[in-house]
Amino acid sequence: MLRVKEIHKSFDDFRAVNGANLHVDKGTLVAVIGPNGAGKTTLFNLITGQLKPDKGEIVFNGKDISKFSPYRICRKGIARSFQIANIFPRLTVFRNIQVSVLSQQGKSTRLFRPARNLAVEETERILESVGLSDKAGNTAGSLAHGDQRTLEIAIALGNKPELLILDEPTAGMSPEETTATMELIKRLAESRGLTILFCEHDMKVVFSVAQSIMVMHQGHSIIQAKPDEVRKNQAVQDAYLGGAE
Amino acid sequence: MFKGIFSIKKSLPYVGIFVTLLILPPIIPRFYIYILAVIFVTALLAMSLNMVVGHGGLFQFHHGAFYGVGAYTVALILTKTSLPLWVGFIAGPFAAALAGLLIGIFCVRLTRLYFGMLQISLGSLLWALVFRWYSLTGGDDGIHGIPMPPFISSQNSAYYFILIVLVICLIVMYLILKSPFGVTLRAIRDNPERCEAIGINVRRHQLIGIVIATFFAGISGVLFVLLEGSVFPDLLFWVYSLEIFIMCLLGGWFTFAGPIIGAAIMVSLRTFVGIYTDYWTLVLGILLILLIFFLPEGVWGYIVEKFGSRAGEAVEEENK
Amino acid sequence: METGQTITFAAFANQFLVGLSRAMILFIVSSGMSFVLGVLRVPNVAHGSLYMIGAFSAFSISTFLGGGTMGFWVALILSPFVVALVSLIAERALFCHLYEREHLMLLLFTFALMLILGDLVKLTWGAEYRSFMAPLTFRGSIPVLGSSFPKYNLFLLVVGPLVAIGLWLFTNKTKIGKIARAAAVDREMVGAMGINVSWVFAFAFVLGCFLAGLGGALVAPTISIAIGMDHDIIMEAFLIVTIGGLGNMWGAMLGSLIFGLTLSFGVLFLPQFAIAFPYIAVGVILIWRPTGMLKSVW
Repeated sequence: MLRVKEIHKSFDDFRAVNGANLHVDKGTLVAVIGPNGAGKTTLFNLITGQLKPDKGEIVFNGKDISKFSPYRICRKGIARSFQIANIFPRLTVFRNIQVSVLSQQGKSTRLFRPARNLAVEETERILESVGLSDKAGNTAGSLAHGDQRTLEIAIALGNKPELLILDEPTAGMSPEETTATMELIKRLAESRGLTILFCEHDMKVVFSVAQSIMVMHQGHSIIQAKPDEVRKNQAVQDAYLGGAE
Repeated sequence: MFKGIFSIKKSLPYVGIFVTLLILPPIIPRFYIYILAVIFVTALLAMSLNMVVGHGGLFQFHHGAFYGVGAYTVALILTKTSLPLWVGFIAGPFAAALAGLLIGIFCVRLTRLYFGMLQISLGSLLWALVFRWYSLTGGDDGIHGIPMPPFISSQNSAYYFILIVLVICLIVMYLILKSPFGVTLRAIRDNPERCEAIGINVRRHQLIGIVIATFFAGISGVLFVLLEGSVFPDLLFWVYSLEIFIMCLLGGWFTFAGPIIGAAIMVSLRTFVGIYTDYWTLVLGILLILLIFFLPEGVWGYIVEKFGSRAGEAVEEENK
Repeated sequence: METGQTITFAAFANQFLVGLSRAMILFIVSSGMSFVLGVLRVPNVAHGSLYMIGAFSAFSISTFLGGGTMGFWVALILSPFVVALVSLIAERALFCHLYEREHLMLLLFTFALMLILGDLVKLTWGAEYRSFMAPLTFRGSIPVLGSSFPKYNLFLLVVGPLVAIGLWLFTNKTKIGKIARAAAVDREMVGAMGINVSWVFAFAFVLGCFLAGLGGALVAPTISIAIGMDHDIIMEAFLIVTIGGLGNMWGAMLGSLIFGLTLSFGVLFLPQFAIAFPYIAVGVILIWRPTGMLKSVW
């Protein structure tokens, strides 16, 4: 479904992503792991168009999307969340999700219909599925950190994506919140038939949830395989123990 | 089509204000009627700016340029051609929107302060043209004594005409801000990057917002000509543009009605402080500093916050 | 209109030099603005008012000292300091409390300052036109390339580059200058180094305003000093800084040259629209390079 081939990106002299490969099959949960600064976030930004690659191909459903702008990539069916809570702080929780649903339904530019009657059902369904229904009327900026992260995922769901990309969905969460969030992600993947690509620090979480794991180190991908094989791989152990290079 | 958006109970106070304004002319002195009309024109201008500033998050620093384009278009059509009045009245807003589109195309490529600076320079280009093109625009003298049929330009009928146009425009603006487009525009204000990532073409939305806002600025420019019967290059000068900007902030830029309050305060200040002293800008400056320090959400923003239920998304809560 | 008239080489050279000397004033003023913009990231709308105060106080000082050569030099040296003092008071009393606030508020504050200073100037000096003469040494003209060229403008052509060099030495060779530049790029880091960022900002603001005052004092003998001169210069400085690249001193120089020269040649070729020429140049440059010709500091 998604295939990233030999992708490169540098900032001035710093090679942030230096030959990364990745493939995501339909209906799977794929994780990207790697030490800090390995280029995970840059890789995600390249896939979703926030950054343009210097070299390499990104193919989604048979189409090269590496030169598309973010909004077009999103319309092709890839939605994402960000590492820091990236929401609409002055709008209500309901509106946060509604904006995304409206965009997905191609109604964003409608001028003369009240928004309150549009996309309501879908928005409420998403609110319910992530458990934010009781906070629908709150201003998003006033939510607690954990709720903001959940809202972040909910906004991405509004786009009805085929592929959902989550950049460290549990960053800054307590262990309980982390478990709850991972449960939520698993549940969403099952109930909505989502394909999910995510990166994560917590190894326990990764190895328990992911069906395929890609390991990044200093900008390039070392391996992508099933969790068991990754665990046994020598190169991975070297990278994590700091033995490589 | 619009059911559910205008609740009768909530709009009663507004209808009350409207009716009061309708019956005022025979009651209060002519001078105050004139001042009210000036406030209406200015309020429409400030409201149009706030669509892209308060609701769109754009640094639209040179909105006065489009106001001026609207005013000059109607003035030129009425003085240089023999086209009927209504052609000028319609051409004004469209010319302003066209200028908004042309300048906007370049501006939306940039963000924040760069957006504002590019707009100021392109807007100033318009100003310089108007200021210097004596044979067409009369240069710094402007154009005076623009012919208007008396049925519309006598003071009371001008007042009514302006009031009715203002109310229509406010209703249309309100609908736009309540529409999916308006909601999306506020989302872009809050977080343009996130909007891109949920499939919204941010630049196109901003551009549409600018065109709509400049269209209303053009209407305001036409009303100005109707009221004053003259135009001059100061309408397009950047200082005036910043004054409009301040009206939005003064009233409360995250609210719907704030700019009206801001415009009313500014016009009254200029008029009534101006009677007592030549130094009204000094008063304005001090007032502005007080505002920055004590009421950063603006006067109306403060009231909504104090007495409204949820201030964060004030425009969602108000009703017209 | 004067089109059709043949343009002599002398006229051409003359306009070139006039444009160049005008560019020097523009540079001095806009480099100050650029410096403030670079460090504080605020376009100081009150910059023109400070320039105006510089011109008016140069007039007062010079007149007070009898208007001679002595008066001119004292005025030239003192008035920038008068302006710097005014800006220091405004900064420490009010502006410095806003650094943590939303950016637009800083911009608005400078606008409020412009309104207040404008009226204070009117209160102090009145609304009449004022003028004073350059000292005898700089009066009259000398022949340059077949046309006569005012001596005072030649003086400006010397001062401009001197200011540029001085500013460059200052920001690159002195410690405080380097700190200010570092604060422009990364204020968190400067804060983390234990330097009081608020004072760095104050310093940058005052230095920028000092340059505005210097520009005002320098331009004073060549124009009639009056209310309203702030509005024109601020617009020009604003545009120069934008096309040059925000916060870039050499960009300010380049922008000033473009602004001054396009105006001069506009006067030569199409006098009626001369004022529009620089704006057209600015428009073209910004459409071609929206973020300015040289690298902006942020």
